[in-house]
Amino acid sequence: MLYRTAIGAVSLALVMGAPIGARAFDESKYPDFAGQWKRPNGIGNQFDIDKPKDRGQQVPLTPEFQKIFEEGLKDQEAGGQGNDPTYICIPDGMPRVMNVIFPMEIVVTPTTTYMIVEYLSQLRRIYTDGRDFPKDYEPSFTGYSIGKWVEPDSTGRYQALEAETRLLKGPRTYDPAGAPLHPDNDSVIRERIYLDKADHNLLRDDITTEDHALTHPWTVHKRYVRVENPIYMEASCSEGNPHVRIDGQNYMLSADGHLMPAKKGQKAPDLRYFK
Amino acid sequence: MRHKFSAASLAIAAALALPAFVGTPAHAFDQSKYPDLHGQWLRVGSPRWDDAHAPLTPEYQAIYQANLKDMAEGGQGIDPTYTCMSPGMPRIMNVYDPMEVVVTPGTTHILIQHIHDGRRIFTDGRDWPKEIDPTFAGYSIGKWRDTTGSERFDLLEVETRNLMGPRVYDSTGLPFHEDNQTVIDERIYLDKADANLLHDDITVHDHALTGPFTANKKYSRTPEAQPVWLESQCPDGNHHVKIGKENYYVSETGFLMPAKKNQAPPDLKYFKQTQK
Repeated sequence: MLYRTAIGAVSLALVMGAPIGARAFDESKYPDFAGQWKRPNGIGNQFDIDKPKDRGQQVPLTPEFQKIFEEGLKDQEAGGQGNDPTYICIPDGMPRVMNVIFPMEIVVTPTTTYMIVEYLSQLRRIYTDGRDFPKDYEPSFTGYSIGKWVEPDSTGRYQALEAETRLLKGPRTYDPAGAPLHPDNDSVIRERIYLDKADHNLLRDDITTEDHALTHPWTVHKRYVRVENPIYMEASCSEGNPHVRIDGQNYMLSADGHLMPAKKGQKAPDLRYFK
Repeated sequence: MRHKFSAASLAIAAALALPAFVGTPAHAFDQSKYPDLHGQWLRVGSPRWDDAHAPLTPEYQAIYQANLKDMAEGGQGIDPTYTCMSPGMPRIMNVYDPMEVVVTPGTTHILIQHIHDGRRIFTDGRDWPKEIDPTFAGYSIGKWRDTTGSERFDLLEVETRNLMGPRVYDSTGLPFHEDNQTVIDERIYLDKADANLLHDDITVHDHALTGPFTANKKYSRTPEAQPVWLESQCPDGNHHVKIGKENYYVSETGFLMPAKKNQAPPDLKYFKQTQK
């Protein structure tokens, strides 16, 4: 994996620009990311929003992982969940969280940009205080993100936030179709987040994923529209989730509370521990 | 239920106290006007309410006792969080996992990873929405106060309504009324003698109570400049499975197990084939 953010560069940014400890936060220095953002109308939950879902995504998977992807799709066609781990409320993780199934709020502060994603209780912190990646850190689904504000205009206002995310855990897939990321979880995800020049209510996130399940880095261009009068709905996945995983298999709960097969011909779970 | 902030009082407060933040966003957010709540906060003491002094109605005292009996037998009682349901308010403020407080001009964010414990406390002078879906965390409106005349806010008063259930106060299963008409008042402030100690005085009004129920929660600030924020995802590795109204366990090897002594297995009437 290529690690672009060198300690030296980060340290220089710290000295040059970061207002650490400042008590007056000059919001005019940053692009106006504040507020609630959602997927544009008509955009589904696929990772590359400019391509059709499932195989149409043309994920540049290695042959080994293409085979895993195909097996997952086959299982989904038979009624299973395939490779998608989120059916039991496991979070999307990065970069899938940026599919923004439910709206996302962005809060910019001098040292951290927060991305608060209601869906599956996902919270991203993009640190912009000049820190380097920690040496020992528990990996997580959303990973550890370091950002840098770049491209100040003539007034000194930054035009974009560049972020790099590492220290991830799995299992993770790009979207519900289940194209997998490598289980070594060495993914590195780079983002360039900026407002559209012509429309400041359109946010762009160019995401490049480097992962050992890919033959080469995969770049997608996400777009989000600002919500004028936001309502923050609570998305509690566990509430009313009909999926149950027992012995590695997905079962369903019926409306009357009984365990049901999720696939045709599926056997009941082994009840060896019951008298 | 008592609703402390009327629409009129909020509008007046917005006009008088927060002129820079209402309507158009100010471009310079003067953080020095607010108490320094940055950093990572850990709860002080146990994540419990004082159940011995909870003023429960007789009906809800009976529900609570039945719940304790079920727990003593290995059940989960009426605590809904074992299946990763959000603890909701005010249990969120037990702060099971570390808390970050992010103050912005219009909203104070309470960020807690635990299950689904994030809160927004709106301080932009808004009134209660007329129609909004209830949530476990509820809808919170806050107002910054300058109690000393120092021209600096030192107290955040908050009222939370629009709640949904089921909710309990803590892992003992101390219950709220199922009508979810709970109103929660909070006073959040830094300790006058120790700026690394945060107080949250919480008062609950609920129809399962004979009078208000108060707790004084405390949180201490970690000294690390770059605190560790561990991801806490309840469904990841949760061994509890709820089938119908019964809680079962999934063993380390993946098999369904009884959670209580002599618990019957789930009804498998929808299966044509069994494995035993």
